[in-house]
Order: sequence, then structure tokens, then C-alpha cells
Amino acid sequence: MTMKIYAYGVIDSDKKIDESKMGLDDAPLFNIPYRDIGIVVSEFRSTQVQNEDKASILKHEEVVEMLTDKFTVLPMRFSTLFGGKEHISLMMRDYYDDFKENFDRLREKVEFGVKSIWPGDLIRERIIIAHRKNDNLPLVANSSGKSFMKEKFENYKIDKEFEEEADRCIAIVDGFFSKFISEKKLEKLKTNNLLLCAYYLIDKEKEDDFKKAFEELRSSPSDLKYLLSGPWPPYNFIILTNSRTKKIGSLDMADMVFQRKDLEEKDRT
Amino acid sequence: MNRVIETDSPEVFADEMEKLQDTLPKKIDANPQNVEKGLAKLVLTLIELIRKLMEKQAMRRVAAGSLSEEEIEKLGETLMKLENKMKELKGIFELKDEDLNLNLGPLGDLM
Repeated sequence: MTMKIYAYGVIDSDKKIDESKMGLDDAPLFNIPYRDIGIVVSEFRSTQVQNEDKASILKHEEVVEMLTDKFTVLPMRFSTLFGGKEHISLMMRDYYDDFKENFDRLREKVEFGVKSIWPGDLIRERIIIAHRKNDNLPLVANSSGKSFMKEKFENYKIDKEFEEEADRCIAIVDGFFSKFISEKKLEKLKTNNLLLCAYYLIDKEKEDDFKKAFEELRSSPSDLKYLLSGPWPPYNFIILTNSRTKKIGSLDMADMVFQRKDLEEKDRT
Repeated sequence: MNRVIETDSPEVFADEMEKLQDTLPKKIDANPQNVEKGLAKLVLTLIELIRKLMEKQAMRRVAAGSLSEEEIEKLGETLMKLENKMKELKGIFELKDEDLNLNLGPLGDLM
């Protein structure tokens, strides 16, 4: 059977790594150098990695973490397989400039995740009740078309107010961290109750300040619930724009958010 | 790396993340057995996106007061028929509202 190559991450070193460490399938890890950087891989016997295999997900993360202690790492998405070394060489050639830029930007930085849950259902209910009390919509429902529009417009106003309220709360939460961060990504209302999924990129030396800010936020009086996770390798801050094709990178690294969510889930359970 | 996961409400977050994963398929589930449904799901998702954009634009125009009574009536009739047609198509292909979304990876969700 042809061996595939399983990739864990690109590192800012072309030197050999500690090859006593094992990766998936208990295969030894090694670094494939390309110019002054490298990609850490291990050989893989199957043609596909089982996405739901928790042990493999954790092994992948363990390797990435081990690398993060020694290098700046651009982690690959869990289950990234290459057909052979020649495919890796091509990929490294195509994305070398991108990798270098990312290394410069992400060196000595880590990512933290902050999630916040609010009583979205209750807030929406409160807004609906307030709207029912003050029915001042600019529509008179005296036909089927207008009735439809009135109902839709009512929902539109409620949604708008709900989102504005969410923006106000997010600004407060985000304000606790703004002075410690280099970059951020905020995702609003992924569900009615999941107010915020925030990803913050911070200097390693500011980790303690960031955690303190989270404690302050958590102890502030409000109906919101919070979850902090990190430090993570900067999964959400890798920017790829294949310098040869000028296309957004087809590598899965920027997509690592999925894997990270899986890991967060597993760490909690 | 001394990673921490801190929260006072692990169950609440676990529930919410589960809900989120249920609603966000990472890919269209198309295979030889259900290719028709997979394709319908993709097409209807795009139509639904366009329908929602049209609806939102219509609401913005109502809010801005830039539509006459007649225009509101016509628009309402059109959007209502479109919504009913979508319901019908979803029924035919046994799709729920939450099926009509796509996760675009780092770009987020389509809707």
C-alpha cells in the first residue's frame, strides 16, 4: 500500500526535530525542510483519517502543542493528508512567502477564545412584548399582500432590535480585552443564545493580563455566561494568499476553527 | 502550553455548541443514493439566500418609507408567493429550514 503523509503544521525551522515523538498511528514524526522552514509530518498507512476519531484528534493537537513549545507553528487542519513528499514540496513552494509572512506576524503570539451566552430567548420575548404594546408600524394590513408585509416588517424590526442589543453587549465584553490584543475575530449570534464567539490574538507575555481581564469580566454583574479557552496556536489568524496564483489558499489551515471547536468540546467533556 | 478552559456553566456551553454543530453541516451530503436531495438542498439554499436578501431589502425600503401603498401590496404578494413556493419545494425534498444553510469554513455560515 502506498504511504500517505500526514501533516501537523509548518514550523519556522528546517532542522531535524526530536524524532522519538510519535504521531498518528504511532508513526515517528519528522520535519521535511523547505528553504529555511519545514513541515512536520508522519507516515500514514490509511488513505483517509476518520474525522470522528477522538484519539486521533487529540494526538494531532498533542503534536501541535509539542511543536508550539519550541517553534512558531502554523497548524494544519486535522486530517490533512498528502500523497507524497513531492506534493508537499509543491505546496511549500507555492505558499512559502505566505508562510514567512504568517511567521513574522504570529511569532510569540497565541490565540484565546472567549464565548458568551446570553438569555437570547428571553431578550427576544421582551422585545416582542414591547412591540405588541407600541404597534406603530407604518403599514395597514387591509389586504393579503400588506398583511404579509406587516408581519414580515414586525419580525424585521424585532430582529433588528435584537441585533442592536447583541451589539451593545458584545461591545461591553470586547471592551474588557481590547487593550491586550493584537488582532481579533468576533462572531455574533451563531445561535439565538450564543451571543459571541471571539478569537483574540495576543502576545505570549500578555497571557496573564488577558486571563485577569477574563476574571474581571466573569465577576462583573450580568446575565451573561462566559467560557475562556486557550492559549491555542493561532488557528484563526493564519492568512493564506498563494503568492503564485494570487488565490486565497486552498490549504485547510485557515479552516482549523472546526478542529479547534472539536477540541474545545473534548477538553470540556 | 498551559491551556485552560474556564467557565461556570460547562453544560450550558456544551448544549449550545451541540445545537450549533447540529445546524451547521460542513458539507453537502451528496452520494449516489441521495444525489437528487443533495442537489436540491444546494439549489434551494441558494434560492433561499436570494429570497431572504430580497425580503430584507424590501423591509429596508418599507422602513425608509420609499414605497407606495400599491408597491407594498405588489411586493407583499410576490414575496408571499415565493415563500409558499419554497415551503412546497422543501416539503417535496423533505428539507427543514435549518437544512438550508452552508458552512463556508473560515467565511462563516451562508445565512
